[in-house]
Amino acid sequence: MLLLEYYASDHWLARIDARIKLLVTLIVLVMVLSYRGVGFQLLVAALSLTLIISMKIPWRLFLLRFSEPFLIVLVVFLLKVFFSGQEPLFSFGVLGFQLTGYREGLAEGIAIGSRIMAAISLMAVLVYATPFPELMAALSWLKVPRGFIEILLYAYRYIFVLFEEAMVIYQAQKNRLGYANFRNRLSSFGILTGSLILKAFEQSQTLSTAMVQRGYDGNMPLFQSRPFRSSEIFLSCLVVTVMGILWRI
Amino acid sequence: MKKVKCGFVIALISGVSLPQNAAAMHIAEGLLPFNWAAFWFAVALPFFAWGLYRLNKRSREDLSFKPLVGLMAAVVFIISCLPIPVPFAGTCSHPCGTGISGILIGPAISVVITAAALLIQALFMAHGGLSTLGADIVSMGVMGSFTGFLTFRALRSVKVNMAVAAFVSGLFADWATYFMTSVELAAGIRGEAAFLPLFWKVLIAFIPTQLPIGILEGAMTAGMVVLLYKKRPDLLIKMRVIKAREVAVIGAVLIALTIFFSGVAPAEASKWTGVDEAVIEKIAKEQGREPKEPLINIEQGDLPLFIFLIAGVVGGFAAGYYWRVLIAGKGLPICRGQDEPGPETSGKIRGS
Repeated sequence: MLLLEYYASDHWLARIDARIKLLVTLIVLVMVLSYRGVGFQLLVAALSLTLIISMKIPWRLFLLRFSEPFLIVLVVFLLKVFFSGQEPLFSFGVLGFQLTGYREGLAEGIAIGSRIMAAISLMAVLVYATPFPELMAALSWLKVPRGFIEILLYAYRYIFVLFEEAMVIYQAQKNRLGYANFRNRLSSFGILTGSLILKAFEQSQTLSTAMVQRGYDGNMPLFQSRPFRSSEIFLSCLVVTVMGILWRI
Repeated sequence: MKKVKCGFVIALISGVSLPQNAAAMHIAEGLLPFNWAAFWFAVALPFFAWGLYRLNKRSREDLSFKPLVGLMAAVVFIISCLPIPVPFAGTCSHPCGTGISGILIGPAISVVITAAALLIQALFMAHGGLSTLGADIVSMGVMGSFTGFLTFRALRSVKVNMAVAAFVSGLFADWATYFMTSVELAAGIRGEAAFLPLFWKVLIAFIPTQLPIGILEGAMTAGMVVLLYKKRPDLLIKMRVIKAREVAVIGAVLIALTIFFSGVAPAEASKWTGVDEAVIEKIAKEQGREPKEPLINIEQGDLPLFIFLIAGVVGGFAAGYYWRVLIAGKGLPICRGQDEPGPETSGKIRGS
């Protein structure tokens, strides 16, 4: 498992309030999803990718993040090109089957592909420019229920602990040929996940005891946000307005 | 007809290639148009709200409940990220883990758990996305959790074995998730095309990996439930998966069997003779060699007790004389004072 967490703390975007970034991202995301065409989406993708490159994201991380969406784009594109539409554009034979690409399918495939790339790169900008606790505080400001945010914080904290535990068990099982055949694999995987659940139960008991001793009353304190700066508000309004105009064109 | 055949080939190829390194049950960011994304959010919202209501209610009763749910979200996150080689398909995929959370925590709270795991995956792993979060919650959280929970409860109510019930629930939870994902994908990307043909193509695309991974998820769920039942039945009672009565009945049966066999065994044992008496002594008697009295007959008087006492005194003396070696370990000097720090602790603040 790779948690592709990276925070470009030196970038100018990282200094902008997380609430503003989240709000602008959501508005532009809605524009991307509701736009009927390709131009606006390609523009958003290009802008976002430029911002990501300016954040000096390691190339490996960049490729890992975008490889899966790219694969999905490819599959959806193929499905659309070969199975949607009426007007044949090209045709060729594979393994004795005749494959025909359709004009309408090609157009739809490009539209969906550009939409996915725009949305993915937009989200990447937000995540690379905002640390997780600030993102949670911004979600709280957007009135996302507090109970859910607390669950997110607990989960985020313990993913690393439990993952380390899972890897130790997995390696031990693998070294003892626990995944040598399908039957062993079933048994080993059941034990691995069962042990994880047991560990989670034990950790939660320890954690809650420790928290109660420190005055936990059922609600976790969240990151306190600072007041908005006028420059941030101006910049966000400008971005949303420009994007809105481009979306309408 | 030819088009259908080609569709099958492409669907199979894409089915094998799509989940190569991917969280295949997650619908990628931006894949669904706005109206479908909003629709699935609307479908997910009541289940999510119900889950939150249940979570808040139970965490008011038990302060350790929220940390537990958070940790379960971490477990679901990890399970749905573990790449497992899929036989026959030559690729990797991963289970969902929502069936087990539905069984253990309940389907409503399991929706919240799934939403948390999905949001973290969307943010940090580009598996799924913010815009498709609603659709992913419906397929994984709602379908997976409710199918797992309802199947388990239905099978247990007709007295099906716990491992079998857990296996079937895990299997159905996984397949239900992919069925729903296929519905969402086909509805979202079909454009002007008909829904059903595209739905079948997407479903076929999932089959090469999801058919065996469903079996794996079933085995995993069964393994988890059985492990918990053996190691920590108290947790299953706390989570209301089993009733205390069930454990009490099984415990009572085990105790009764133990008492029965421990009572019967000595009585039965007296009827049985060892090989010395049954074979060697018998043949010796037949040859006219009667057994002689032992020089020291330990069956007379309290001789065994006396020997045991002597052994206890000698053992106690030896242990007392060498207790520092026994307690401090082999490599350390015997005479180090208690206030002196050991070599591994000096100069460091440990556990901070």
